Amino acid sequence: MIKVKKKKTGLCEVDLDGELTIYEAASLKEELFKKIEKCKGVSINLSNVSELDTSCFQILIAAKRECDKREIEFTMNSHSPAVLDVMDLYNMGSYFGDPLVL
Amino acid sequence: MSSPEETFLLECGELLTSMEEALLEMEDNPSDPDSIGAIFRAAHTIKGTGGVFGYDDVEAFTHIVENVLDKVRDNEITVDSNLIAILLSSCDHMEVLVTKAVANEDISDDDKVVDAGLRASLNQYLGVTAPGTNTESTTEIVEGKSSVEIENTGSMVISDNWHISLRFDLEVLQNGMDPLSFMRYLQKIGEIVHVTTLHDDFPSLEEFDPELCYLGFEIAFSSEADKEEIEQVFEFVRDMCTLHILPPRAQIQHFAEVIQSLPEDDMRIGEILIASGVLTERELSNALNSQNKECEGVEACTPTPIGEVLVETKVVHEEVLNVALSKQNKGQLSKSAKQTVLRVDADKLDSLINLVGELVISGATANMLSNNSGDELLIESMSSMSRLVEEIRDNALNLRMVQIGETFNRFKRVVRDVSKELGKDIILNINGADAELDKTVVEKIGDPLMHLIRNSMDHGIESSADRIAAGKDAQGNVWLNAFHDSGNIVIEVADDGRGLDRDKLLAKAHEKGLISDGQVLTDHEVFRLIFEAGFSTAEKVTNLSGRGVGMDVVRRNIEALRGSVDVDKNEYGGTTVSIRLPLTLAIIDGFLVRVGDSSYVIPLDMVNECIELEKGERDENGMHGYINLRDEVLPYLRLRDYFDEPCTQKNNESIVVVKYGSNKAGFVVDELLGELQTVIKPMGKILQNVKGLSGATILGSGNVAIILDVPNLVQRAIQSNNVHGIKSGSENVVLH
Amino acid sequence: MNDIAATEENMLTLAETNELISEMDDTGTKYLTFKVGGELFGTEIDNINEIIEYSDMTRVPLTPPHIRGVSNLRGNVVPIIDLAVRLGKEAGETTKRTCIIIVEMEDEGETMDIGFVVDEVDEVLDIHEDAIEPAPQFGAEISSDYINGMGKIDGEFVILLLLNEVLSISGLSELVSNDSSI
Repeated sequence: MIKVKKKKTGLCEVDLDGELTIYEAASLKEELFKKIEKCKGVSINLSNVSELDTSCFQILIAAKRECDKREIEFTMNSHSPAVLDVMDLYNMGSYFGDPLVL
Repeated sequence: MSSPEETFLLECGELLTSMEEALLEMEDNPSDPDSIGAIFRAAHTIKGTGGVFGYDDVEAFTHIVENVLDKVRDNEITVDSNLIAILLSSCDHMEVLVTKAVANEDISDDDKVVDAGLRASLNQYLGVTAPGTNTESTTEIVEGKSSVEIENTGSMVISDNWHISLRFDLEVLQNGMDPLSFMRYLQKIGEIVHVTTLHDDFPSLEEFDPELCYLGFEIAFSSEADKEEIEQVFEFVRDMCTLHILPPRAQIQHFAEVIQSLPEDDMRIGEILIASGVLTERELSNALNSQNKECEGVEACTPTPIGEVLVETKVVHEEVLNVALSKQNKGQLSKSAKQTVLRVDADKLDSLINLVGELVISGATANMLSNNSGDELLIESMSSMSRLVEEIRDNALNLRMVQIGETFNRFKRVVRDVSKELGKDIILNINGADAELDKTVVEKIGDPLMHLIRNSMDHGIESSADRIAAGKDAQGNVWLNAFHDSGNIVIEVADDGRGLDRDKLLAKAHEKGLISDGQVLTDHEVFRLIFEAGFSTAEKVTNLSGRGVGMDVVRRNIEALRGSVDVDKNEYGGTTVSIRLPLTLAIIDGFLVRVGDSSYVIPLDMVNECIELEKGERDENGMHGYINLRDEVLPYLRLRDYFDEPCTQKNNESIVVVKYGSNKAGFVVDELLGELQTVIKPMGKILQNVKGLSGATILGSGNVAIILDVPNLVQRAIQSNNVHGIKSGSENVVLH
Repeated sequence: MNDIAATEENMLTLAETNELISEMDDTGTKYLTFKVGGELFGTEIDNINEIIEYSDMTRVPLTPPHIRGVSNLRGNVVPIIDLAVRLGKEAGETTKRTCIIIVEMEDEGETMDIGFVVDEVDEVLDIHEDAIEPAPQFGAEISSDYINGMGKIDGEFVILLLLNEVLSISGLSELVSNDSSI
């Protein structure tokens, strides 16, 4: 569900995969925020996300808010179709500010 | 001040001023959204308020202006200098219309011509763009609809979309519902034109529970479905959400109601509505304003429509509200800042300051009496009261202090217009706009400054061709600088033009008989000749300056304010005229002296030193004379003789050495009575022109003492000295 | 101060006169009569604010002699005109009957108080229109511009002054600035 690679620069590369739904949300939240706690930047790869619901989408928002608060970089990349669908429906692309490849 | 109409007039004045400023700003920076917003808001407010008062002319004309501005804001019209010129003229015309409407006068035929011309020019801009708005404006003009009808048509939202405002309860996700599914469902019965997802209510990370829903949505929705069908989409979550559905072309009031009823106080409804295209910024502004219509005309609520209502009802944080409205009306920000500013009738302020003046005077009397009484406790309590009185006086005087900036900014327009008229390229540079001085001084300084600036532009700055030939930048500069200098404010009008022509000035002075053939004058003295009456060096008289009312009028105006004016070359080769003014006309730090049997006040900032002189050192009885002051010649004037004062009490005379600018002179007085700070009382029209006296003050004893106007008194003495040729030796005295 | 009785008597007269002025209704044309340089003058009471006892005032140097000085009237500095000099007479001696009449004058929309010195205030009375003769073309010591007409009281003539002319602010200030431009 979640893999985190920490680079020398302090940047955390986070891979999310699978069904990200309300059933996973609580544990995903806890794990994600624990792993990025000391990061100096977060980059999330969403290419293998097969499903995304509102609860897990809120985790992404929370992650961005947290990074903004800590004034560190937060990016998402390789949005999977499932992610893009949610982004589109919620019109949140511009909030995250990442380039979306449709 | 009291009637709503007068308030309207006053506010229009302010709005038009800010509109003008913003227009000038926009000319330099055409895409600046702040300026456009400010302009738009000003026009909109004038139109709206004009309508409320039933000023049809104002409303109809401003409506066209507003339509044009709307197009500008939407980037449908490109801003060019032609448009700016038309809009500036429209500003002027609106001012005329407003003034006439408030005065209940018909507009003159000339104004009608202007009106028609401007309407034609403005409509040209509208003609090339969307006809809808144009038609609206024409019908209005042709049919002369009443303001009520316009309000109705105007307050309908143009949008063809439904608007859905959706807030989910926190538990919605735990109940197995996902907002996403409603979005998808919506897509089946229509098109989601725009969604704004609100996440402003997100808690801190610790409190964040991904199983709770923190999101809210504002949706613009295009559909053939009716309201019931749309509501049915949310059937399953009806008890887990707050839902508002507004039909296309809903009345603005309904939007206002929705905005008010929404639970979150931390969201940017306005911004969202604008972003989703449901409301234009103008409509939003209308919506928010519409709640306030009931109190139209009541001064207290007119300037605070949006902020108070919404913030009071906890709907919108003030900062949030400002964000929502900021694009449209930066001016609104300063408007709401003004809420903390109380508008006070100048007369009331004056009478307060007068009373404080009285208080100072009677306080001084009481102080004197208590000192004489020898009662320690009384003396002590009097002195602490005196301190308080002084503080009150200082505070009261401070109330009258305003920044010079507003006056300066007025000249941007002048410089712009005049440079066009002259075909010169000139920019105005302003420094020290935040320097403060008394409102009365500010009011009276406008005309002299206007004259000086026009002079600089007309006579000082060369044409671009000449400038280039002289190796200068083609663009000429005029500077308006203000700064404080030892209790005075100095205002400089400077230019980088050709500077004053010494030879020309001298020739002119000879021609006018102002100087005699043998006289040798320094450059500075020659330059100062321009302040002599009837002295104008312009070779050809333009309609700007050179009308004979020249620099001498400027000098007189400045001197009437107890100020002085000087002129010299500056580092750019141009001319700098510096005006030195007291910060306030109401109060003076003075030096009290006895001359004969009377008391006189010499402004303290002019007093350099006081010296007691041995009898042998000066002539006992002459009116004029000079002494050797540390190897400098100091001419003196015996005030007792000059003023023809009777004197029953002679003791050793003293000389008060006064200094103003670079001049020094001595006044022989009979006694030095010490410093005092005192309130200046005008002596009234009859005596205000007495050269050498600048006013009067009431002493602690209740007696009136005359305040001396040092520069003019010395000037006067020099003149009468020249005329009468008194006293051997005094011809050698150079008073400069 | 030296002669308390006389001062009090004078003040009483003043108080009475002031009362009379304030009590006057608008039905007839009321005049205040006063003596200057031995002659009897009168003026409509409309403009008159009050009459005050003569007190020492502050000289204003560099002004023509008809400016007697300035005085502190309840915190305002009020110029005082020597009416005798203004009318081309000798400045009168100051006696205990000398008074200052304070009038409100208007100029270009602004009103201001001006005082003028008279030797003695006489009375407030009605003068009927038919008891007023036009100003003589000549023969009077003072300029006919200043005279509204000649009133007859008990067979004696009263010169009815046009205060707006005699004390016209623009006229007075012109004189003052002419004088100061020597």
